[in-house]
Amino acid sequence: MDEVALDHHDAHDHKPGFFKRWLFSTNHKDIGTLYLIFALIAGIVGYTLSGLIRWELAEPGIGVLTQFVAGEGDVAIQNAKHFYNAVITYHGLIMIFFMVMPALIGGFGNWFVPLMIGAPDMAFPRMNNISFWLTAAAFVLACVSMMVPGGSAGNGFAGGWVLYPPLSSTTGHPGPAMDVLILSLHTAGIASILGAINFIVTILNMRAPGMTLHKMPLFAWGVLVTAVLLLLSLPVLAAALTMLLTDRNFGSQFFNPAGGGDPVMFQHLFWFFGHPEVYIMILPAFGIISHIVSTFSKKPIFGYLGMAYAMVSIGVIGFVVWAHHMYTVGMNVDLKAYFVAATMVIAVPTGIKIFSWIATMWGGSIEFKVPMLWAIGFIFLFTVGGVTGVVLANAGIDHALHDTYYVVAHFHYVLSLGAVFGLFAGWYYWFEKMFGIKYNGFIGGLHFWLMFIGSNVLFFPQHFLGLQGMPRRYIDYADGFATWHHVSSIGYAITLVATLVFFVGLAEALIRRRKGVANPWGEGATTLEWTLSSPPPFHQYNELPHVTAKGGH
Amino acid sequence: MCAAILAGPALAEQPQNGALGMQPAATRIAERIHQFHGFVLVIITIITIFVLGLLLWVIIRHNKKANPQPRKFSHNTLVEVVWTVVPALILVAIASQSFPNLFYQDVVPNLEQITSKGKQLQADGKTAAYNRYTKNYFPEAAEKGFVNIKAQGNQWNWTYTYPDIVDDAGYPLEFVSNPLQVGLSTDSKVGPRNLAVDYPMVIPVGRYVRYYTAAADVIHSWTVPAFGVKTDAIPGRLNEGWFLVDRPGVYYGQCSELCGVNHAYMPIEVRVVSEEEYARWAELMLAGDYDAAAASVRQVASTEQATKFAAKQ
Amino acid sequence: MAHDEVKHDYHLVNPSPWPLLGSMSVVVTALGGVTFMKGLFGLEKGTWWLLALGLAMVAWVMFGWWREVIKEGRHGDHTPVVMIGLRYGMILFIASEVMFFAGWFWSFFEFAIFNSARVGPNWDAANPLFAEGLSRFRDWPPVGVETFDPFHLPLMNTLILLLSGTTVTWAHHALQHDDRSGAKLGLLLTILLGMMFTCLQVFEYQHAQFTFDGTLYGSAFFMATGFHGAHVVIGTLFLIVCLLRLMAGNMSAEKHLGFEFAAWYWHFVDVVWIFLFAFVYVVPFLAHGG
Ligand code: HEA
Ligand code: HEA
Ligand code: CUA
Ligand SMILES: [Cu+2]
Repeated sequence: MDEVALDHHDAHDHKPGFFKRWLFSTNHKDIGTLYLIFALIAGIVGYTLSGLIRWELAEPGIGVLTQFVAGEGDVAIQNAKHFYNAVITYHGLIMIFFMVMPALIGGFGNWFVPLMIGAPDMAFPRMNNISFWLTAAAFVLACVSMMVPGGSAGNGFAGGWVLYPPLSSTTGHPGPAMDVLILSLHTAGIASILGAINFIVTILNMRAPGMTLHKMPLFAWGVLVTAVLLLLSLPVLAAALTMLLTDRNFGSQFFNPAGGGDPVMFQHLFWFFGHPEVYIMILPAFGIISHIVSTFSKKPIFGYLGMAYAMVSIGVIGFVVWAHHMYTVGMNVDLKAYFVAATMVIAVPTGIKIFSWIATMWGGSIEFKVPMLWAIGFIFLFTVGGVTGVVLANAGIDHALHDTYYVVAHFHYVLSLGAVFGLFAGWYYWFEKMFGIKYNGFIGGLHFWLMFIGSNVLFFPQHFLGLQGMPRRYIDYADGFATWHHVSSIGYAITLVATLVFFVGLAEALIRRRKGVANPWGEGATTLEWTLSSPPPFHQYNELPHVTAKGGH
Repeated sequence: MCAAILAGPALAEQPQNGALGMQPAATRIAERIHQFHGFVLVIITIITIFVLGLLLWVIIRHNKKANPQPRKFSHNTLVEVVWTVVPALILVAIASQSFPNLFYQDVVPNLEQITSKGKQLQADGKTAAYNRYTKNYFPEAAEKGFVNIKAQGNQWNWTYTYPDIVDDAGYPLEFVSNPLQVGLSTDSKVGPRNLAVDYPMVIPVGRYVRYYTAAADVIHSWTVPAFGVKTDAIPGRLNEGWFLVDRPGVYYGQCSELCGVNHAYMPIEVRVVSEEEYARWAELMLAGDYDAAAASVRQVASTEQATKFAAKQ
Repeated sequence: MAHDEVKHDYHLVNPSPWPLLGSMSVVVTALGGVTFMKGLFGLEKGTWWLLALGLAMVAWVMFGWWREVIKEGRHGDHTPVVMIGLRYGMILFIASEVMFFAGWFWSFFEFAIFNSARVGPNWDAANPLFAEGLSRFRDWPPVGVETFDPFHLPLMNTLILLLSGTTVTWAHHALQHDDRSGAKLGLLLTILLGMMFTCLQVFEYQHAQFTFDGTLYGSAFFMATGFHGAHVVIGTLFLIVCLLRLMAGNMSAEKHLGFEFAAWYWHFVDVVWIFLFAFVYVVPFLAHGG
């Protein structure tokens, strides 16, 4: 044992040199930072793509994307149509796989799960690093896939992020773009599975003495449930993608109706992954919100156990509702009825979370610091997105609203105004802890308000569009949809200002370098990370903290 | 832009600028969707406002200034039970409306049963019960049987097949319906941009229609918002659905499953006409004079006044 | 704080080049794979060297990485608490593998049960699945597909795998009692049985009356059994590594995580086969009246 300790000591004292530190990292905080930088870059790409969408849709007709594609006149228009579909596809994929997941799970999860549970690092630090680099590899492959031939009218895969065959088989996209994309998603999936294993083992095996599961901070709970969902749902996607790949290249017939195969089978497999995936994106945010609400209300979390088990039940039920994305494929009515009921049930544990957050604030002494603004925004906007989900859950209504902008509005409220608001809340909450410098609160507040207004102007009118029947994934629309599309694009312009403000704030903080303190939030911040310096030492908890009767969360 | 809209028939059901809700219902299915959606909308609005109200309340009453000393409670069994049970009850209420609505639209009605049930009620002299029954079921229409239509999605147009309308050789009427205007070219053609087609699907008013969807290449989805129906057209499968349009007119829909480059340009146009006009149209179509057939149903929407459902709008 | 003595037993790993190299090799493999299947970047379809390069890189990284792990283990980094973590990790990995196979089984069942019902209006109302139960397998495989008689080769293979499950357990017990030669023998037998299984499977594949491409049954059959076969091969390699390490004097009666994991993995592969045998071979056979 002596020998071991000595060896460790060695590794501790010296931070590795620059390249070793950032390329070969085995340090959860460094890897977390890498993930955040990565998510930021991917976020900019995804955000730019969404800008192309809104710019094109601001006016009826095809007038914008023609500038970005080869050819003149009708050829350009034809190419632009393909390009539009490619843009929405990669927008969705990048936002989900390379922005939200890396930021919330890879970034904050890596940074704060070990810190919060009193662990010196993740369970498998080297595997942690390959999770990151595989995510980066997947992003590289996704970008390659955007650039290589897809269908007859251009590069990239242009069949939506859900990859339904036969549009994604050689019938729709004969070119290599789809093959590269499949392998990209395989790679991202492996990265996430390894990451999930790492988180589960860390949480089960490395909690500080005295920190029972029932004392564990809710963010760690959120990541734990998320990791289980990843572990169990991604392999099914991998199977589906593999079948698609062999259908495309080796003549198998899984999804080829001509050979007796069934395209709908793919949809089942995809959504068996896809629905848990949406909770994968929101559960870590749920955890973050809990801490922020408690910190700035200066009150312990209301109904801690209920909060933890609400997440568990959301995760469990999340596995048995997938076909609510498939109400129009011609399912038996009894099955539909089952999926209606199962889906709606999720509103109950989610409601418990919403009300518990409010009860945490109740009687508190709330300070409206920047993270708290985002958290309150999250609670309200997520509720808006959640209740429209309940509307969609009713197959009878979904027959009218499926594949319309109502769905687009729903999922942006829970994703862009839910998960991303949670992301920014966490960003402002932990910024000082992670980087050891303070940001300017005014700029942060401005960022919030612009974003709050902008994204509501952006996405609320899409409910109206959807109710009127505006289909999704349309580059051009009937004239009756023009007004609200125009408003929506104005909303995008506001978020553009907001995003600029965000970067100004980031630059300002980096330039001014105001020294951060260990705990800027005061008595309300009770979790372990606030006991460490900001930024924390390269290796924390060389002597494990002891968690006593109260505390933890 | 405006010109294009005005060029369309006055009663056409198509998207309206600035509209907040669904397109007016033309079938009982859509009407029931509207009612149910209205019901759910009220519930979710109340919930959202309630959450917003609570948030505002704590923001105003429990902030640092108003309440410098935070309280420390973290449990209250009663409210926890309430906010678990009440949402559950609300969901039960929603479900109680949702399931009848779902089964009504999703199960193709048994016409014989409807006919005999209607006759029975009338024979028994139960007028009130009969009237109630005819809100959802249409014995008179049921007696005439189904009008069957198959809509096949292709990249990128629809092929309609009428197995009930056969020519002398026994082949059913089948024709392709292409979009009239694509993109911004509103110049020469009539009808709303991106919605109008050359040869619309035509059905008789007040008849039970059973439609099947199929696809030739990739998945498409056949929908008409005013009817409240949407059914995917999937290669290798035959899906089915039904509706009964009670109001002559022209109704538009658009392909609702991403199907490639021209996904935005394979609209659906349905013209609902009287039985006589339908018969005339069928005759012309069978004779191969598609343009005359299309012309014969062109005026439909502006000639007949809306009936039953329109009155309720 | 940073300079405090380390007072915990967790393993803080030194920076390592393998993850970065690993993901680079994945990129090369993926692009190489697409080049091979479709042609990419001006390279012709069928160009194999990029794929081969990628795979070689992957193999190199695996070798380097696991060598590092074994070194650390022998160096004493794998304290009891770390070993618990590694065990959890392996269990979770196997859990994800189970879900991977769930995908194959799910699609196999769907294809089997709804094969003839899929086309036609109201297809599932007309074909009440639950009323008819497994007799729906009558339509599967589709008419004209000549399947294997499960009670010849497949049954033999089942027995071989089951037997190998017992020999690996024997080896494990022997190792726990520090009977190294018994362990080696048990392991060797397991490996031979595993290879025998693979050989028989290859033999069976060669005599299949259907193919992977062109028929749905063939696709579903070869994909499910093929991925199982791949896992058998991986498991065999894993066991071979253990045998080599045993012969090199590695591993002890108390500490032999590598061996344990290989054994778990082998049992998992075993169980998957039982399900394959039951549902891919036997049930359709019986549903057709034997
Ligand atoms: C973070 C991501 C996220 C989250 C959390 C959710 C949450 C929910 N989603 Fe959403 N959804 C998506 C992301 C998400 N969704 C995406 C990306 C798609 C589209 C995919 C695609 O096709 O591209 C989609 C699509 C989608 C559909 C398919 C629509 C269609 O294609 O036709 C449906 C249908 O049932 C649905 C339902 C729900 C429900 C019921 C919830 C519930 O979990 C919501 C629960 C929350 C609340 C209800 C609010 C709070 C509760 C209370 C205040 C208590 C009281 C409330 C009541 C009693 C109602 N979603
Ligand atoms: C997390 C997921 C996510 C996010 C954040 C967004 C954000 C946005 N999305 Fe969307 N979107 C999807 C997921 C997401 N989207 C999906 C899955 C689809 C379906 C694709 C398909 O049909 O196949 C879709 C489709 C979609 C459509 C429909 C296209 C169509 O059907 O034709 C539209 C149209 O307006 C749209 C717009 C936007 C806009 C304007 C934004 C944003 O601009 C709103 C503002 C958001 C930000 C400003 C956040 C920026 C974040 C960062 C810069 C990262 C910060 C990182 C750190 C701090 C570490 N998106
Ligand atoms: Cu056809 Cu979209
Ligand atoms: Cu879902």
